[in-house]
Amino acid sequence: MSENATPSLLPSPTNRVLEFIARYGIIFVLVIMVVALSILTPSLRGEQYFLTKRNLLQVALQASINSVIAVGMTFIITSGGIDLSVGSMAGFAGVVTAIALRDYGVGYLGGFLVAVGAGTACGLFNGLLITRANLRPFIATLGTMGIFRGLALVASDGRPIYGFNRRFIDTFSGETFFDIPKPVIVAALVAVGGWLILTQTRFGKYTIAIGGNEETTGLAGIPIQRYKLGIYALGGFLTGTAAALLTARLSSADPIAGNLFELDAIAATVMGGTSLTGGEGTILGTVVGALIISLVRNGMNILNVQSFWQQFVIGSVIILAVMLDQWRKKQVRPQ
Amino acid sequence: MVSVSENTPLLRVEDITKSFGAVQALRGITFDLVRGTVMALVGDNGAGKSTLAKILSGVHPPTSGQFYLNGQSCRFDRPAAALAAGIETVYQNLALIEELDVADNVYLGRETTRGGAIGRLFGILDRPAMRQHTAKALSQLHIKIPAPTLAVRKMSGGQRQAVAIGRALTWGRELFILDEPTAALGVDETEQVLRMIERLREEHGLTFIIISHNMQDVYRIADTIVVLRQGRHVATLAKNDTTPEEIVAYITGAKE
Repeated sequence: MSENATPSLLPSPTNRVLEFIARYGIIFVLVIMVVALSILTPSLRGEQYFLTKRNLLQVALQASINSVIAVGMTFIITSGGIDLSVGSMAGFAGVVTAIALRDYGVGYLGGFLVAVGAGTACGLFNGLLITRANLRPFIATLGTMGIFRGLALVASDGRPIYGFNRRFIDTFSGETFFDIPKPVIVAALVAVGGWLILTQTRFGKYTIAIGGNEETTGLAGIPIQRYKLGIYALGGFLTGTAAALLTARLSSADPIAGNLFELDAIAATVMGGTSLTGGEGTILGTVVGALIISLVRNGMNILNVQSFWQQFVIGSVIILAVMLDQWRKKQVRPQ
Repeated sequence: MVSVSENTPLLRVEDITKSFGAVQALRGITFDLVRGTVMALVGDNGAGKSTLAKILSGVHPPTSGQFYLNGQSCRFDRPAAALAAGIETVYQNLALIEELDVADNVYLGRETTRGGAIGRLFGILDRPAMRQHTAKALSQLHIKIPAPTLAVRKMSGGQRQAVAIGRALTWGRELFILDEPTAALGVDETEQVLRMIERLREEHGLTFIIISHNMQDVYRIADTIVVLRQGRHVATLAKNDTTPEEIVAYITGAKE
């Protein structure tokens, strides 16, 4: 309206600082952790274990599979949903891929297509439960978390599957130029692609709109059910991609692989600044979140902290990130 | 082309009913709306005003009855059908996505893409063009906003309502349905929205249905007033032949 822009609602300096922290604060956390570990490891162990090329690439490698899944999780959470089934889905897709490679002689590319196909099918199934059966995402994916894990155990007879196509393993694991692990390259491509889709395309805009206000988005004539189906399918596609990387890296498919992957993926996403209430998502934040989780694990290993504490720390980080998000929203929102 | 005679009303609503299970929300609504006029739809809470608005904008199909736009029967099965027919609705509290900026809201569901066929395939947004057109369209409507890139959540209630109405005016051709357009606004902002509606009717001959609780607003801007009570259509009044007291009497049931 004319001349009645109420100044109090425009960003005040405090709000701007809060928004800046919410958006980029996580990057400072990453930097502080790197600096702290660089100083701590030589002084505690007499030698620099942390700040070496080999270890940093290891951190990136350990972040890569989670990052690929978490990019999909970012779309799902931005749309106001959640996917608790990604860990089971990764296990199932891995088993299906290994069986296809070992028993049906699909080539290495065929194996990759089976992995992403299985993941996408699982994602579509989640999407159908949510859009057709009108289940809440939490309940639908809690159920499929059990279903996909059960299928993985049934298909594999509960045993890990070994002895498949060597070329599949060589293509999707190991290192490439500058000793960079291949999963890191894939994770980087997925991150750039995810960022482009979320910020530059209609699909990304509607993902944000649905998470912001589903009813308003529907009233604007947008077929929200079709887009939600697409969002869960994308999550499944990326989880399938991660399953291919995991299967190649381990040279085997374990039906219990991917256990608690949902914890890491949700942690990376909310830590990065994507709001669990929907409508706001950041791929850069998610990637940084995945790196921080990997750093926590790596740092705790180097500092000889018992590995059982890792789950405790990751869980605490989710709770802290959501508390920070809620507090920030209370500060910034005018109402 | 269907020839539209001078006498054809823009909108004809014929005996529309709507039931949700055992609840009869609308029990036979009939009226004509003449092009270039403002109709107020009034009634107490639960009278059926919003249900009627949702039928006209394609959210719900009517249980029975018909409505016609320019003499043509309308059967909308989804909101997109009503939008395509030129009917724009500004919903109370549901008009805009707070997380998107002004231009993204104005173009919500109507995005333009860049990069030719590939851009269309992947839905690559042409944000510079959409922002430019939004700024131009809103300024033509005398709607002043700081920038088309401002997030809606940072805007005042009046600015939001202006953007929501501006969005409807950018795309609508036939009929504009405004659900409680001033309910959330202060005195100054209310005055500006009412003036905008008056100006659009007088200068551009636009047609409005306005749902309102505020008798002062209704009496000031409406040409005709349709009163609903408990789903029944109790009166159609011409403003010049009625008084605010009479309208209230129909709403409360003091007068049948």
